[in-house]
Amino acid sequence: MSWQTFILHLFTYGILLYSIVILICYLLIGAFSIMETRSYLHKNSFTDYRMLASSTETPSMSILAPAYNEGPTIIENVRSLLSLHYHNLEVIIINDGSKDDSLERLIEAYSLYKADYFVNQRLKTKPVKGVYRSSNPVYRKLVVVDKENGGKADALNVGVNIARSDYFVCIDVDCVLEQDALLKLAKPFLEATTQRVIAAGGVVRIANSCEIEGGRLVKVNLPKQFLPRIQTLEYIRAFLLSRMAWTKLNGLLLISGAFGAFDREIVINCGGYNSKTVGEDMELVVRMRRYMEELGEPYKVAFIPDPLCWTEAPSTYRILGRQRNRWTRGTIETLRAHKKMFFNPSYGILGMLSYPYWFFFEFLAPIIEFFGTLGLIYYCFKYAVNWEAILIMIGVICLGILYSIFAIMMEVLTYHQYKQKRDILHLVLVAILEPFVFHPFVVWSAVVGNFDLLRKNNSWGEMTRAGFAPNKKI
Amino acid sequence: MAGRLLTYLIKISWSVQNIAVAAVVALMTCLLVFMLLYMYVKSVREKKQHKWRMISDMLINKAIFYEDRDEIEDQILASVLEAAQKLIVNRYFRKFIAGELVSAKKNISGASADSLKQFYLQLGLDKYALKNLESRQWYVKAEAIQELTIMHTDEFIDQLHTHTNDKNEYVRMEAQAAMVQFKGFDGLDFLNSISYPLSNWQQIKLLQLLSLKPPSTINIDKWFKSDNNSVVIFALKLARNYHRFELHDAITECLDHENADVRYEAIRCLNEIYTDETADHLISRFLQQGLKHQVAIARAMQNVGSKKDELFLFDLLKHESDELKLHAARALANASKEGLLSLEKYSKESEEAISQILMHIKGENAA
Repeated sequence: MSWQTFILHLFTYGILLYSIVILICYLLIGAFSIMETRSYLHKNSFTDYRMLASSTETPSMSILAPAYNEGPTIIENVRSLLSLHYHNLEVIIINDGSKDDSLERLIEAYSLYKADYFVNQRLKTKPVKGVYRSSNPVYRKLVVVDKENGGKADALNVGVNIARSDYFVCIDVDCVLEQDALLKLAKPFLEATTQRVIAAGGVVRIANSCEIEGGRLVKVNLPKQFLPRIQTLEYIRAFLLSRMAWTKLNGLLLISGAFGAFDREIVINCGGYNSKTVGEDMELVVRMRRYMEELGEPYKVAFIPDPLCWTEAPSTYRILGRQRNRWTRGTIETLRAHKKMFFNPSYGILGMLSYPYWFFFEFLAPIIEFFGTLGLIYYCFKYAVNWEAILIMIGVICLGILYSIFAIMMEVLTYHQYKQKRDILHLVLVAILEPFVFHPFVVWSAVVGNFDLLRKNNSWGEMTRAGFAPNKKI
Repeated sequence: MAGRLLTYLIKISWSVQNIAVAAVVALMTCLLVFMLLYMYVKSVREKKQHKWRMISDMLINKAIFYEDRDEIEDQILASVLEAAQKLIVNRYFRKFIAGELVSAKKNISGASADSLKQFYLQLGLDKYALKNLESRQWYVKAEAIQELTIMHTDEFIDQLHTHTNDKNEYVRMEAQAAMVQFKGFDGLDFLNSISYPLSNWQQIKLLQLLSLKPPSTINIDKWFKSDNNSVVIFALKLARNYHRFELHDAITECLDHENADVRYEAIRCLNEIYTDETADHLISRFLQQGLKHQVAIARAMQNVGSKKDELFLFDLLKHESDELKLHAARALANASKEGLLSLEKYSKESEEAISQILMHIKGENAA
């Protein structure tokens, strides 16, 4: 046997083994997701959130919304946050050194004045220039903080310092929340008896083409543009299958930075958000989990499958590429910062399952896929068509499509946000097209992200958004 | 030799590969067939439900507009009930009609609600609900308890009471809520015997249900001695919510409880139920507590503190925790008329943080 044949076989069977392990993981994710979703839906049928909305016994919650150059939409977005159903609420907007007139707009719209405010610097941050309160009692829940620019993580840390509540919810200021989102997010913290719930995440859905009025979601529509539509499917798959399955195993590592609730005490004890990474949301959850594991206290990261938060997805390849590039760098930075846990049994599920899964199937997958495809193309041109490898590739693609269709079915059977049959057919069509149109681009962005990290490029990447202007379909 | 072994391994893995590919294809086919079958069954059930909805709507209508019924209407009602009774053997119909009647009953009261309950009993749904109490699936059990409670079938209270300490949290939550709905404060007697913890969620639910009942002066302090810490916490919340000032001494004893959460709730409770001696009790326990409890004590001092506690509060201003300093300064400002002036004087001679805290408090007072 020649060395070329040996390498070819090693390559082919290596890919086959990797694919089989992924297949098993997908099957398990599907099964665990069904179990967890069923259990959640049963439990939820006994829950009356109206009771919580009117109770004075609910724990206080602080919403932290960092804003950077959000001038055109900030007034509406803050109004939407102030109208959320929750008795004991504080809304903290952190103006992270915006270069536009965001602060002036807020001052004018909400009758703000600069208050003498003692900021308890439990987490080190860039200097706070001023804290503003409203002279209008209607907006007594509102606190606006003006600070020097330091990035999202730094802005959130300022929010954590200012917040007075035991729990805080971090959100992207341009997201639209369901009116009862906070009530649903508060529930896991209140239900815990034997384990301390350190964080809770909610499902984020794509708001492109939906009807938004006065900062509220009025009608759900499937995005009309191709890229947002394909991301709708991607989000359904990630939130309804993957995160639910990891919740079942109590191994969830990521709560979306767009919407998540945290135990403030644990966050402060852990040192708050890390402003040196672009994946501050995942890094914080991993650090909090690691802290609890090292403390030896039982804990849980909860996840709510209800659609609670709606966000605008990138609609151009340029912005999508930047986003995925950043996500990749964030993942690698987090894995690198906590490499001590890799297959370390003293970290339980976190060290033996969650971390290795992220390492092999989130970090390595795009690299293996990229170089595997390149290698296959090279071999086919140089020597002969490798039918075995091509067969495996087709099998993996079919499996991916099937997995997406399964996710669509789960969506239809649970929350059924897209009521029209035409929408479901469109989603299925998107599931079939995704491996050929969208997925290669995502893989490429991830590979570029790897190279960027090696070149020490740690920029956030500009995220231009159309915004939810009043009565506007995006 | 090595070459032969490698060739042999490759042969084996080629057949493994074939098996794997075949397995993927078979799995995909199975999943597709399952999904299609499931969707078909679901659509058939939805069509059936459309017919069933006509029956349930008719029954609910007749219950709401019971005063307008004449002979013809009664005949129609009888035939609808007869049709429903024939379908009742179908467990999907049973689940459907019970769900519809229960959600209607939640929103109506008086004679209409009684009429709805009558239909529920006529269809024998109470018997099925009782049978469901023995189910092995927790959600069937919990649903049955909820159904019997909303339908106000108080003849089954004893059966429901047996589930107040069920191993499933949702079953016992529903059973405990049922007791309070049926018997008000007297329904809380399950607190004497429960061994599982009451979650904060359940405590909020029970307090909410109790707020709809006439206040009572039942004996709460017996629960302060419970072995179940969550029961002690709930009793403290009851004392706080219903301003049971006569329990002050018993609440003070909870400051020495071995459980930190109970101690924390006791401090919160004393923030509302206090006497001239409360501050001394809190101060005497201050050093034995962790920071969270110390902050809670400093916060409580804003209400319970007075001029005589100034020395203690000034001491707190030297603490390393800024949060503690802030609450202590607030307490000082509230302790007496001269409190703010003393604080101003102190701030001139101390660190920067104190003067910032002073400005903060002045700002709060001005707002």
